[in-house]
Amino acid sequence: MGGLSGTLGIAINALIADQGSLEVTANNIANANTPGYTREQAILAEQQPVQIGNLLFGEGVVLQSIQSIRDPVLELRIQQENQIQGQLGSFIGGANQIQALFNETQGVGLESVISQFFNSFQALSTDPTSLPLRQGVLSAAQSLVDAFHQASASLQQIQTGLDQTVTQDVTQVNLLASEIAKVNAQISSARVSGQSAGALIDQRTQLVNQLSNLIGLNITNNESGTYTISTENGTPLVVGVQSFTLQTQMDPASGTQHVYFNQNDITSTITEGALGGTLQVRDQTVPSVLNSLDTLAASIVSSVNAQHSAGYDLSGNPGGNFFTPLTGTAGAATQISLTVTNPAQIAASSDGTPGSNGNALALASIENQPIVSGQTATDFYAGMVNNIGSQVSFADSRQQAESALILQLQNQLNSVSGVSIDQEAANLVMFQQAYEASAKVVSIVSQLMQTTINMT
Amino acid sequence: MGLRIVPDLYLTMLDAVSNDRARLNAALQEISTGRSVNSPSDNPAATAALIENTAQTNNNDQFQRSISSVQGVLETADTVLGSVIASLNQAIAVGTEGANGAISPSQQQALAQEVQSIQDTIQNLANTAYQGNYLFAGTAFSTQPFVTDPSSPSGVSYQGNNDTNKIQIGPSQYVSINLPGSTIFTASGSDVFQALHDLTTALQSGGNVAAALDEVHTAFNNLNMQRTFYGNALDELNSVNNNLSQQQLTLARETSTLISADPAKAASNLVQAEYTLNAALSAFGRISQNTLLDFLK
Repeated sequence: MGGLSGTLGIAINALIADQGSLEVTANNIANANTPGYTREQAILAEQQPVQIGNLLFGEGVVLQSIQSIRDPVLELRIQQENQIQGQLGSFIGGANQIQALFNETQGVGLESVISQFFNSFQALSTDPTSLPLRQGVLSAAQSLVDAFHQASASLQQIQTGLDQTVTQDVTQVNLLASEIAKVNAQISSARVSGQSAGALIDQRTQLVNQLSNLIGLNITNNESGTYTISTENGTPLVVGVQSFTLQTQMDPASGTQHVYFNQNDITSTITEGALGGTLQVRDQTVPSVLNSLDTLAASIVSSVNAQHSAGYDLSGNPGGNFFTPLTGTAGAATQISLTVTNPAQIAASSDGTPGSNGNALALASIENQPIVSGQTATDFYAGMVNNIGSQVSFADSRQQAESALILQLQNQLNSVSGVSIDQEAANLVMFQQAYEASAKVVSIVSQLMQTTINMT
Repeated sequence: MGLRIVPDLYLTMLDAVSNDRARLNAALQEISTGRSVNSPSDNPAATAALIENTAQTNNNDQFQRSISSVQGVLETADTVLGSVIASLNQAIAVGTEGANGAISPSQQQALAQEVQSIQDTIQNLANTAYQGNYLFAGTAFSTQPFVTDPSSPSGVSYQGNNDTNKIQIGPSQYVSINLPGSTIFTASGSDVFQALHDLTTALQSGGNVAAALDEVHTAFNNLNMQRTFYGNALDELNSVNNNLSQQQLTLARETSTLISADPAKAASNLVQAEYTLNAALSAFGRISQNTLLDFLK
C-alpha cells in the first residue's frame, strides 16, 4: 500500500515496535537483580513488502516475539552440580554431628574413660586389698559403661533426626514436583497460544534447582516445552503436566523411613541431592560407627571377663565375669553393663591370696593387648576417629571445589542470560531515538496531509 | 557486538569476600585458641596421633602414681630392716661378751635376758604394718607374719606366704615391691630367730656361745644382703620416675606440635587474610558505581 496513509501506517507500526522494545528493556532493568531472571530481547522483523506496479515497498517493522536469552546446556550443568552440592552439604551436616561426639581434640570421646578404666587396675595393683582402690575400679568401669551407652544413644538420636529429615525432604520433593508439573502446564498452554513463556521457564528453572538440590534428577525436554523429570534410577517425578509422589514408610528391618514409589523401595538408588547425603549418613556412616563401637565394647567385655574369671576376689573366690556377658557384637555398646557391683568381688588376686595383685596387673595389661581386630582398644578407637574425621575432611574439600565450580558456571550463565545495565541503557537510547524518529515521521506525514487538505 | 562479559561481578566478589573472611576467621581462631586442630576433620591423622599420645600420657601418669604410692612401703621396709640390723649388731656385741669365758653365770643369765629382749624387738619389727598391711608377710599382708610359737624350734613361726607382688612402671617394665618375711628372717641356714634363740639357750645353759654367735653372724649377713633389695628397688623407682617425667614432657611437646597453632605462621596467615579481605572489599566498593546510564542526559 502506498501513499501517505501507508507511510503513516509504517510509522505507527514502528512506534508500536519501539514501545514494545522499550517495555522489554524496562523489564530487563527492573529484573536486573531478580534471582533466576533470564534477560529478554525484543525480536524485531521486517514486514512483508508489498509490490505496487513493478516496485517493492517495505512495509516497516513488526515486533515478532519476545525471546529469553538462555543456555539450556549450562542450566543443566548447574542443576547437576547442584545435586552434588546438596548431597555434600547434608552429608557434612550429619557427619559433623558424629565427629562432635568423638572430638578428642577438645577432650570429648572415649579415650579418657578407656585409659582410666585400665589405669584403675594399675592403681589397684599397688595395694590390692584397698577398698577405696577397688571402689575406684568400679567407678572407672561404670564411667566406661556410661560413655559407651551415651555414645551409642547419641548416634541413635542423630539417626532419628536424619530419619525425620528424610521424611521432610520427600514431602518437599513431592511438593516441588507438583509445582513443576503446574508450571509445565502453563508453559505448554503459553506455547500453544504463542505467548512468551520466559517468566514461566525462569520460574521452572528455579523450582528444578530447588528440586535437584534435594534429589538427583534426570531431565528430558519434551516438544511441548514441558520437562520430564525422573530420579537417578528413572523413577518418574514429573511427566509433562503430571506429577508423581514418593512415599515414606517405616522399613521393619532397619527401623528407619524408606522411600517408596508404587510400593517399590527406591531408597538405595538415591545417592545425590540433600536426600542422598542424608541417607548416606543415616544408612552408612552412623551404622558403621555404631558397629565399630559395638566391636570395641564387645572386645573389652570378653577379654576383661576372661582375665577376671582367671583371678580370685578378696574372699578367695574365683572371679567370674566382670561385665555381663554379651550375646553378640550387635548392640554391645548399648548393652554393656557391670556384673561386679561389690568392690570385694574384683578379682585382683592371681592365687586366692587377698594380697596378691597378679590378676589386677593382668587386667591392666589388656590395654596394650591386640584385643580388637588385631589392634589395642586405643588404636582401634583412634582409627575409628581418624576415619570419621577423614570422611568429613574429604567432603569439605569436595564441597569447596564444587562451590567454586558452581560459581564459575553461574558466571558463565550470567554472561549469557544476565542483565547488563550498560547494554540496557544503550538499548534505551537506541529505542528512544527510533521512537522519536518515528514520531517525527508521523508528525511530518500529518503536516503533509494538512498541506494536501489545504490545497483543495 | 563482541564477547558478552559477565555483566555483574556481584557473585564473584561476594564469594571472594566470604572466602577471605573465612580465612581471616580461621587465622583469628587459631591465634586466639592457640590451636590449629579443633575437630577431627581439621587433621584426622593428627587427631589419631593425639589419641595415642593422650593414652600414653595417662598411662605414664598412672605409672608415676603407682611409683609414689609404693615408695612409702619400700622406704618403711628399708628403715625397719635398718633397725633390725642395729638390733642384730647389738646381739652380736652381747654374744661376743658372753663368749668371753671370764664372766660369771649370773652375768651370762643377764646377757641371755638381753638377747631374748632383742629377739622380741626384732619380732616386733618384723611384724611392722604400713597402712594396715604387714610389710613382711609375702602377699598375705593381712596376716601377722611372725607369731610366738613354743612348738617351733626357734620359738617363732612364720604365718605369711612366699609370694611377692610386682607393679607395672613402664609399658613392659615391672618391679617387685616386696620380699617375703621367710626370705629375710627365716631363710633356712640363716634364720634370725633360730640364731637368737640358740644364742639365748647357749648363754642360759653355758653351751657353745661361739657357735651360736656364728649363726647370728650368718643371719646378719643374709639380712644385710636382703635389705639391698629395697634400696635397689627405691633407686630403680626413682630413676624410672625421672624418665617418666622426661617422657611426659616429650609427649606434651609432641601433642603441642600435633594440634597447636604455629604462632608465626598463624600471624602471617592473619596478616595475609586481612590484606586480601581489604583488597576484595575495596574492589567491591569500586564496582558497579558507574553504568552507561550515568552518562546519558
